[in-house]
Amino acid sequence: MYYICAMNSEFIQNWLSQVKKGTLSYIILNILNEKEYYGYDLIQEIKLHTTLEVAEGTLYPLLNKLKTDGIVESKWVEQPSGIPRKYYTLSAEGKVTLNEMKKIWLTLETAIHKIQK
Amino acid sequence: MKKLIYKNPTAQKIYDSYFKRVSRCVSILSPNDQLELQMELNSHIYEATNDVAPDKEVEALIEALEKLGAPEEMLQPAIADKKIKQASRSFNPKHVLQAMYLNVSSGLGYLTLAFVYLLIVAFGMLVILKLLFADNTGLFLKDGRFKVFGFTPTVPAGSSEVLGYWFIPLVIIIMLVAYFLNTSLLRLLKKQ
Repeated sequence: MYYICAMNSEFIQNWLSQVKKGTLSYIILNILNEKEYYGYDLIQEIKLHTTLEVAEGTLYPLLNKLKTDGIVESKWVEQPSGIPRKYYTLSAEGKVTLNEMKKIWLTLETAIHKIQK
Repeated sequence: MKKLIYKNPTAQKIYDSYFKRVSRCVSILSPNDQLELQMELNSHIYEATNDVAPDKEVEALIEALEKLGAPEEMLQPAIADKKIKQASRSFNPKHVLQAMYLNVSSGLGYLTLAFVYLLIVAFGMLVILKLLFADNTGLFLKDGRFKVFGFTPTVPAGSSEVLGYWFIPLVIIIMLVAYFLNTSLLRLLKKQ
């Protein structure tokens, strides 16, 4: 019995990890669609709206990839502290991408609801 | 870049030590790319620790750095990506080799690149071999049929070398074409 529980727990952990990996980009794009954020602030916003534990070490490489793909843009903004912040915002291509992702998400959500009954 | 100053000396040591590792990781990149990655991490650490009382600085800093993770792991994707951009912009063999090394785990495309670069080096060696062993290096034909292209310790019986020292410019042209095609492939992989 214990063995089965341990196996299920491992399976669920792996599944959750995949879900987080797959949805983090979508969450980030939705948040950036509202206004621009700098990295630290974006992490706080994700924590505020979701129960996802987002490791900072995961977020920055992902932001960098989104920037490379032309989905987000960034700019440095000087601060009175002398430590500038790097603000991220959705690019025009990012807005189109997000709209497509929203359609896919809604279709998936409807399908899951139907299946779950 | 403005480094962070902590009131607590232990916190300062931890920060300095972490940033030393960051600097070592990014040293392979162009000065602009190095600065970009360093500034972003510095900004994050500042935001995570700036409102903390001096007696809590160590705790807050350790927590922030643990969440960021080891710079060697956390920065690897960004470094690999920026190195590819630098390599495909510059065509500089040093940057191309570094980019391949950093991205070789990313798939077959990079393994192909590495293999073709190895071939280019091998062709380069043929030029030297032609100068040292002219009779054993070149294009060998027998009755108009292909026998050997390159270096052979024993020349096949009845065959003769047909290119002479024209073998050297031919090999150099092949090397240049392969190098150009390989760097174009690198650009293509970068876009994917």
